[in-house]
Amino acid sequence: MAATFATAASTVAAVRFLVPNVLYEPSERFKAGKPEDYPDGAVTFLENEQVFLLRKGNTFRCLSAVCTHLGCTVNRADHGYHCPCHGSVFNDQGEVEGGPAPHPLPWFQVTLSKDERLLVDKSKVVSSDKPLVV
Amino acid sequence: MNVPLPKRIWQAFARTRVGRSIFRVGLPESNLERSQAMVSSFLLHVQPAKVHRHSLRAAYSLGLGLITLYLFLILIGTGVLLMFYYVPSTQQAYDAMKDLQFVVSAGLLMRNMHRWAAHLMVLFVMLHLCRVFYTGAYKRPREFNWLLGVGLFLLTVALSFTGYLLPWDQLAFWAIKVGTSIAGYAPVIGQKLRFLMLGGHTVGQEALIRFYVLHVIVLPGLAVLMIALHLWRVRKDGGLSRPDEPGDVVEQIELGQLPTNKTYGLMELARGTTPQVGRDPEDEVFSWPHLVFRELLLFLLVVAVVLFLAIFWNAPLEEFANPIHPPNPAKAPWYFLGLQELVSYSAFWGGVVVPGLLVTALALLPYLDRRRVGIGRWFARERWVANTIFTVCLLAAIVFTVIGSFFRGPNWGWVEPWQKPPAVSEGS
Repeated sequence: MAATFATAASTVAAVRFLVPNVLYEPSERFKAGKPEDYPDGAVTFLENEQVFLLRKGNTFRCLSAVCTHLGCTVNRADHGYHCPCHGSVFNDQGEVEGGPAPHPLPWFQVTLSKDERLLVDKSKVVSSDKPLVV
Repeated sequence: MNVPLPKRIWQAFARTRVGRSIFRVGLPESNLERSQAMVSSFLLHVQPAKVHRHSLRAAYSLGLGLITLYLFLILIGTGVLLMFYYVPSTQQAYDAMKDLQFVVSAGLLMRNMHRWAAHLMVLFVMLHLCRVFYTGAYKRPREFNWLLGVGLFLLTVALSFTGYLLPWDQLAFWAIKVGTSIAGYAPVIGQKLRFLMLGGHTVGQEALIRFYVLHVIVLPGLAVLMIALHLWRVRKDGGLSRPDEPGDVVEQIELGQLPTNKTYGLMELARGTTPQVGRDPEDEVFSWPHLVFRELLLFLLVVAVVLFLAIFWNAPLEEFANPIHPPNPAKAPWYFLGLQELVSYSAFWGGVVVPGLLVTALALLPYLDRRRVGIGRWFARERWVANTIFTVCLLAAIVFTVIGSFFRGPNWGWVEPWQKPPAVSEGS
């Protein structure tokens, strides 16, 4: 009985030990510059953040560039997005058109910070028809 | 008598007080000494003093298990040497690879040997598995040893996979990114498992140190333990499998089927066939020199082949890992390309269900296929059902691997290997 408890407790402790409590990863929230930095109608790839920033008129939207299949970075094609790893194809709305991707690319929340910068939060997924209107 | 000089030196040394204290038996001259040589040496006593002729037939075992073991020994030797220069840091790992290539004496050779031995070990562990299957060698009393073998197969793949990340180049980074994402598709615990493997959400410093520790101590330590068990079971289960097994020895003694002009020590009453109590002792030969010298020769051959490959073909090293730009196409190591091809149809079915079922089927095989027929013969006709099923699975695995390796180009699109790959358009 005591031995069972000791074994269970040390197993739990060992597994728990291996789960890090603090991650030194980049923040999910980042500032993406001023709205006027982006030309009208452009799809801009933000390399370090692995997202596309889309401007249409005075609306701003942000699409994930991480393939929902196995995490490769998708490339912008003439229409939609292509993943180089396993050939998933997404349309302009991020929806799956072909390939093994199980989910559409998520759209992230874009807000305006106090100092008038675009603020993207990758932890908040929004629907594609909820852009930021500036 | 014309005794060669090395042998004369050895004999002179073995006769001295120091020599006798170390080796006990010199170079054996009589049958008694041949047995004593095997029993009194720590390394040799793993093997029996006498061995069945059938076990020595190269055409039966093809020496595949032994080759795998030798490759593992080469990997430990070269791996420990590489550890003197390698630093498991995302900042320094790639530089260490470059140093090994350009600065360290024989550094490139050591890395090449490690790489080649690793690929060969994965290949030979698979070939060994096929040999044991096609000769029906997994049947009673060897069921558990087959299970250990399946465990060792998985360990070998895990060792290779964890080692793949260490150079921290593009190949390494993206292969691990794809590989760990496949693990993320496992039901319920997938994402947690991936987080635990990587020590975070992305392939970074935490993942590198985790893979390093697994690669240099945890997995090799486990492998050494399991190899020891595997070899010990080979002996306890009566040596290599062979046809016409006389059955349980204890049973035979009770039935009076064993010759009465031999006496048996209790320690020889192992289950199954043992060289000591088989019905046909005249088919057994002394391990020294018949087994030991074959083993030595095979070891030299394996080292020679690995050296040859390492001298003429370099291990690849791509650019420094760039988490922003995946290579196009991003490919896993060759033994995972069949899996990657399956994953390109569906990550869950191809990456989790199919391999999961295959490994489960392999592990349960000796407990499902219990008919004791066709043991110790290649492609026994009585086993045609099992052989057919296995061959179909094997061919499917080979076909998928070949497609993934040679027929997949940019965007994982279909290319014919004899054509020039189409130009890749870089994304915006």
